[in-house]
Amino acid sequence: MEPSVETHNLTVIYDKKPAIWNIDFTLPTGKIIGIMGPNGSGKSTLLKAIMGIIEPNIGYSKVFDKELDDVRTRVSYVPQRQSVDWDFPASVWDVVAMGRFATKGLFKRLSKEDNDIITESLAKVNMTPFTNRQISQLSGGQQQRVFLARALAQNADLYLMDEPFVGVDAATEQAIINLLKSMRDAGKTLLVVHHDLHTAQDYFEHMVLLNSRLVAEGPTDEVFTQEILTETYGGTLTTLSKVASALKEKDFPMRHK
Amino acid sequence: MIDFWIILTASLVATTTAILGCFLIMRKMAMIGDAISHAVLPGIVIAYYLTNSRASFPILLGAAASGMVVTYLIQFFNQRVKLQQDASIGISYTFLFAIGIILISLFSNDVDLDQDCVLYGEIAYVPLDTLTLGGFNVGPRQVWILGTTLLIIAGSVFIGYRKLVLTTFDPAFAAAMGVSVVLWQYYLMAGVSLATVVSFESVGAVLVIAFLSGPAATAFLLTKDFKKMIYLAIGFGISASIIGYYMADWLAGSIAGAIATIIGVQFALAFIYIQFLRKSRISETLENKVLT
Ligand SMILES: Nc1ncnc2c1ncn2[C@@H]1O[C@H](COP(=O)(O)OP(=O)(O)OP(=O)(O)O)[C@@H](O)[C@H]1O
Ligand SMILES: [Mg+2]
Repeated sequence: MEPSVETHNLTVIYDKKPAIWNIDFTLPTGKIIGIMGPNGSGKSTLLKAIMGIIEPNIGYSKVFDKELDDVRTRVSYVPQRQSVDWDFPASVWDVVAMGRFATKGLFKRLSKEDNDIITESLAKVNMTPFTNRQISQLSGGQQQRVFLARALAQNADLYLMDEPFVGVDAATEQAIINLLKSMRDAGKTLLVVHHDLHTAQDYFEHMVLLNSRLVAEGPTDEVFTQEILTETYGGTLTTLSKVASALKEKDFPMRHK
Repeated sequence: MIDFWIILTASLVATTTAILGCFLIMRKMAMIGDAISHAVLPGIVIAYYLTNSRASFPILLGAAASGMVVTYLIQFFNQRVKLQQDASIGISYTFLFAIGIILISLFSNDVDLDQDCVLYGEIAYVPLDTLTLGGFNVGPRQVWILGTTLLIIAGSVFIGYRKLVLTTFDPAFAAAMGVSVVLWQYYLMAGVSLATVVSFESVGAVLVIAFLSGPAATAFLLTKDFKKMIYLAIGFGISASIIGYYMADWLAGSIAGAIATIIGVQFALAFIYIQFLRKSRISETLENKVLT
């Protein structure tokens, strides 16, 4: 199968301190892949380097076995919600419409088909009633869903999402993960930065564990182990106990499948 | 007729700067006009020294070149050195201004030049300097220059509108789509340099700075639609020009000062208006809650 993302010696250095160091992996397609690691471990940096938003100091990455520039329209990037100014004067519709601009160039008006895609994307994240709402009047979870709708509108094959579950309530999180799973079932690949160890095994079939360097990468069953998690998160008491309780859940799976 | 030319001049400047000001405010760069007003000094001095004349075209060219240099420096400090936007603006323009002052003192034997003669254009004199085409008096020269500038700026913003909005709202997403954030930043800043330098010459720096930030800020308070914000800002700029002109006439005071004052008053009124709106909305919902 063709790989979704591969990186070779990928290294990004800010102010002489490496944020990611010598990252080498090849990820499968058609899976929901988690990227996990403590704060400051380079998760956002990794996504930005793959998307060409920052130039790596060393190494390179490929998407669908090609240069990013050749497959850009097949890739969608969902930034961390806090990275934009939500006071910008725009409506929910305006922001989601940005997802259609990539293929439109400077002038071309949005076609009926574009409008349908936008409407549909909003419906998929349950934001239809908010279509004309100003983005400054949204809650954090609603902002997150607007970003997801914009990504859906891009109709890509690979989605890179930076912490899509931050600041959303349990019901919304469940709705989002169901959406991601249905996208996966439609053959899409999703690369998702995530923080919660407890839900990780449920959400991800494949994982990248990061702590500036690559600690482990592989199917969840193989890499979500006490040893690897300790290496990823270090030895602090709180994280260790979190790891322990996360693993306990693993022993008594609560999956309802 | 003099009334008409002066109001038209102010309105042309107001329209050009309002369009750009809306983008600048959303990029937290509203004070760039202030920076450019100082940063153009070395370019002006060098242009004067090279051509040995105060003809306005070479001087404008020199000023516009310095405007681009300061834009580049701000970008450099902000992106490469990771300095905050306001600090980058501050250090860049004071640096260029200082160079300008040093140049002036170096050439001081034969230079009777200071910033005032270029930057503090006086709007009241605009109607005096007229342009003659084929023997016909076609109106003030500045009106033609400003009109052309407005066409260039409005046209460029129209062409680049989507990309400018995208790179302003979400630069990371824009970059991920393959849109060059830096390129569009320069595109916008080239427009700002051109517009400010040309406008300085006709209406003076203070009014240009007021036009760049004031009407856009007022419009931002009143609408949550970026396109409407641009139209509103233009409306505020033009109405401030008209009201300001007649106020200055009535008080026999400075036209630029009066227009700048009206811009401030507009902002204050808009601010009071939205406070009032908010209060009445809160009491309305409270009433509804009590009733139900
Ligand atoms: N623009 C920047 N300039 C300098 N250093 C940076 C920059 N962005 C990130 N860093 C540093 O690089 C490291 C990795 O940051 P990154 O944002 O990729 O981490 P992260 O894993 O996404 O963290 P979080 O979980 O908090 O989102 C951190 O030490 C951070 O301080
Ligand atoms: Mg991050």
